[in-house]
Amino acid sequence: MKRRDFIKSIGLTSAAGSLGLPATAAALTFGGTAPPRYLRPPGALPEEAFESTCIRCGQCGEVCPNRCIQFFDLENGTASFGTPYIIPRDQACILCMKCGDICPTNAIVPIERLMEPILEQVKMGKAVVDENLCLSFQGKTCGVCYRACPLQDVAIRTGLLEQPHVLDDCVGCGLCERSCIQLPQAIRIIPNYTHA
Amino acid sequence: MNKTPMNPTATNKAVHKPFFLWRHLNKLRWVSLTIVFTMLVLIPFLHVYQTYLAAHTYDLLSGSEKQIYNSMEWLSSPFVTDPEDQLDALKGNTWSGTFGSLQLSDPLAVLGHLVSSQTFYWPFILTALIPVILTVFFGRFFCGWICPATFLYELNSNLGILLRKSGLHIGNRRFDRRLKYLVLAIGLAIAVATGSAAFAAIYPPAIIGREIYYAIALGGFGSGVVFFLLTLLFDLLLSRRGFCRYICPGGALYSLLGRFRLLRIKRIVESCNDCAKCTAVCEFGLDPLHDHFGQECNNCSACIAVCPTEAMTFYLSPQDIANQGPGHLGRQYKQQNTAFNPAEKMAGEN
Repeated sequence: MKRRDFIKSIGLTSAAGSLGLPATAAALTFGGTAPPRYLRPPGALPEEAFESTCIRCGQCGEVCPNRCIQFFDLENGTASFGTPYIIPRDQACILCMKCGDICPTNAIVPIERLMEPILEQVKMGKAVVDENLCLSFQGKTCGVCYRACPLQDVAIRTGLLEQPHVLDDCVGCGLCERSCIQLPQAIRIIPNYTHA
Repeated sequence: MNKTPMNPTATNKAVHKPFFLWRHLNKLRWVSLTIVFTMLVLIPFLHVYQTYLAAHTYDLLSGSEKQIYNSMEWLSSPFVTDPEDQLDALKGNTWSGTFGSLQLSDPLAVLGHLVSSQTFYWPFILTALIPVILTVFFGRFFCGWICPATFLYELNSNLGILLRKSGLHIGNRRFDRRLKYLVLAIGLAIAVATGSAAFAAIYPPAIIGREIYYAIALGGFGSGVVFFLLTLLFDLLLSRRGFCRYICPGGALYSLLGRFRLLRIKRIVESCNDCAKCTAVCEFGLDPLHDHFGQECNNCSACIAVCPTEAMTFYLSPQDIANQGPGHLGRQYKQQNTAFNPAEKMAGEN
């Protein structure tokens, strides 16, 4: 944490404390800066179980053919130090399922690379469309996210003017967010984990 | 059959000579350390090569990226026909690695995983089986023969010798060797309390495996490398090989596992001349001259290599032999044994 941020957090903490919001104060001091919106690799255990099961060997990243798996340093707190994460806008998961196969501790559960098991077991997140940003909703036919999706018509379908509609089966691989031609992206993955 | 060489009353020709290759094992050890370290560098490069292949992107690569592609293709082509898939057989580092269908893990990784996740996941526990069995036989061999941190720490310790020779007064403090067992215990307690893998953050071989991968494939070192540099400085300026001797939790675990190891080094007291080179050379600060090896000897064989009178050798036993006294070629032993009566001996000593 930079010194300026630290001072800011102290200021915010005391302000929140004086307003009688101890929970907010605690969150501000111990959470540091707000955690980045990140995904865990496909098939990863729920956040807390994942952090205690992962041994930080880094093999999931070494086996990822897309180099989408990155590793936390201390920016997300000490508990997630050295754990793998995916920022889909930088590089999204192609659902090759190699990381689950190589994970020695089952922190990333091995999943067969077939439609059924992937839909059933991969729960990285869910895509959400911002209709104010999306070109198709602004009358300019686009449809890039639909074409990038590995689970077309299962996870996402298009309507009038290629307007994307995310379906319940979306697993959150992030290829739509990666491919969105808008800046900032009009479709984002909201991660499924419930931690922090 | 072991009695003849052990018997001190035997004549000189019965003195046991060590097998001649054991003097050269220390070179083999350096070869082993170098191979492990090279693999840790190559595996990330091979991974980068795989990602280029997966992306079908050769024409879009920059000059240096093409160099990586070409050299890795040259290196791997004799062994694999389909590098994109088959190179997946070689992944990971000494903390936990994959070699074909065989997965191997550091016993400390397994222990840390057991206490932090509090689950018995047998496939993972079994990955430490081979290292544990080898440790029971060979003791703390990992520290001397495999550990990528040892490779750097020993070079660092050689640098320390250079500094000393050039006249710098660098410290050589000694601490209590049992400190590392305390570190191991505290680390386990932290892992239980926080449910997080605490050892991976401070265990040098795990740090090095990770950081080399970060640097090559992800474009930059993480904060682990800062910690490792601090341990290098600690070793160089304060205490020679201090981290391995006094702090390393993995070393503590290996020492405990190798407590009753079968392969040990012993001093052949008949051919020892008390020159103490073995004690000076021992990276782990043990005292071979007085037969103090204990559970922390990693069978690195540096003392065998340095001995001028071939008085160090391997033998099989679950326990060290007790102090055998001064070497028979040394001055002290000769003085003791040429003295015919106590009075003369006292006079000689005065």
